[in-house]
Amino acid sequence: MCGIVGFLDKTHNHEHSALGRILLDMLRALACRGPDSAGVALFGPSTNGRLVVKVKLGNDGESGSRAQRLSGLLKSFGVGGNEFSTIAAYARFVLDGGIDLTNLIDSIESSDKEIEVVSVGRNLEIVKQVGSPANLEKTYGISQFRGTHGLGHTRLSTESRVDLSHSQPFWSHGRPDLAIVHNGHITNYHKLRRLYQQHSVRFYTENDSEVVAIYLSDQLSKGRSLEESLHAMLRELDGSFSCLVATATEFGFVKDPFALKPLLWAETDGFVAVANEEIAIRSALPGGYQVREAEAKEVRVWER
Amino acid sequence: MGEVNCDGRSTREINAEIKQQIKHGATDILVRNPGARHNLGVAVLEPVAIRLEGSVGYYCAGLIDGPSFDIAGSAGWGLAESMMSGRVVVRRNAGNGAAAAIRGGTVVIHQDAAARLGVSMKGGMVLVAGNCGYMAGFMGQKGTIIVCGDAGEAFADSMYETVCFVGGRISELGTDAVVEQPSAEDAEFLDSTLAQHLPSEVRKSKPAGRSFKKVVSGRKLWNFDKQEWKTWQEAL
Repeated sequence: MCGIVGFLDKTHNHEHSALGRILLDMLRALACRGPDSAGVALFGPSTNGRLVVKVKLGNDGESGSRAQRLSGLLKSFGVGGNEFSTIAAYARFVLDGGIDLTNLIDSIESSDKEIEVVSVGRNLEIVKQVGSPANLEKTYGISQFRGTHGLGHTRLSTESRVDLSHSQPFWSHGRPDLAIVHNGHITNYHKLRRLYQQHSVRFYTENDSEVVAIYLSDQLSKGRSLEESLHAMLRELDGSFSCLVATATEFGFVKDPFALKPLLWAETDGFVAVANEEIAIRSALPGGYQVREAEAKEVRVWER
Repeated sequence: MGEVNCDGRSTREINAEIKQQIKHGATDILVRNPGARHNLGVAVLEPVAIRLEGSVGYYCAGLIDGPSFDIAGSAGWGLAESMMSGRVVVRRNAGNGAAAAIRGGTVVIHQDAAARLGVSMKGGMVLVAGNCGYMAGFMGQKGTIIVCGDAGEAFADSMYETVCFVGGRISELGTDAVVEQPSAEDAEFLDSTLAQHLPSEVRKSKPAGRSFKKVVSGRKLWNFDKQEWKTWQEAL
């Protein structure tokens, strides 16, 4: 099944936004749709255009030494000790935007096979782990996060393994500030994967949802808008998908041509909320707003 | 009048409480704060009136035989699925598969219905005051579907004897769906049905019975004929 949620704060009062709390409440309501793992992609205030990098250190007792080695490696990229921190399975650091990102990611990931760059962005931070939304809150305190918009996911794994890397949201690996969550099954995944691999795109998981992030990143790199990219996805990706996508400036969804997966949305003057069960929206946001099911082939994009 | 407050209670507790109140003679039950919970009021078999003061989740009023439901908010997937008899009214929108496989009774949706409205209906009637989404009426065997607004793609695909009426535009007819001119009796039936089931504020601005399109099965898929191979290739 999988639970997917998304929230966009339209009030422009982000210092006081309850983004983290709202996403957590929505995810808690959908915990039963995905007991395997939970995660969020949070878009917060930018730190003077600097990039925030989240790195998975692993959960095998070696994370401390990996963090130490990573911190050493990052000195050559100009990351000072006070810009580097660790929390549970992640290292987090900030650095100037002008850097060669491909080189940085390659250097980090080639240092240890357990290490993976989970997200990079001026605004984006991804936190995900195996287990429930309640555990995600316990480990990372996501309810305290302030920001403009975000995505969340609870995973019921069907075909690929259950670990942090196979959890969602997925970052596009390479393009800063692009994250997706997906409920469904991309049936031409293997074909698309082979196609991208011929173009030297690295796949980090065997989860079909990963190809959605790679596909959208590819479309955006070709100069298409997010809305155009989501329409193109309707033509080029097969199977069932209710999919939410967010960039630093936009937030949107797409539903497959057969409307095989649920996706409901509500919009008021203050917010846009999307989830695959209304109970998620109602339990996080009180009020007399209307909720409606997205149509087959429906694409919607909001600017933040 | 009975009352059930959903706050802090599980679906199972709420449904047990509804059935308990019916057992003790309640004929009118108000369900407060449903909060879009799933499976509310499933398999109620007595002719009671149940009002829900908000939105409901998936499969509300499924498998019912006789009661009347009035839902103030929206409904999720599978509303009134497989109902035998009774009446289910949704004041706002309904999700995918509303009135799927119903055998009798009436489902009334005051705003829009999403995909797969009334698929595989075996009787009864579903009336939508707004629009309906993709693939409404698919494989309908009996019963009536009325959509006052527009209908989505693959409308009335591969039907048996369900009869559909659409007041607005049909974006695409499904395989073997045929548009007919409604008869004078059809128009009269539509006018009286809308008057009976839709409150005046919902009914106003809806088309008159005579301007609806009637959609029925062309019966080409009822028996396999290799002369019709092309139709079969395209059938879903």
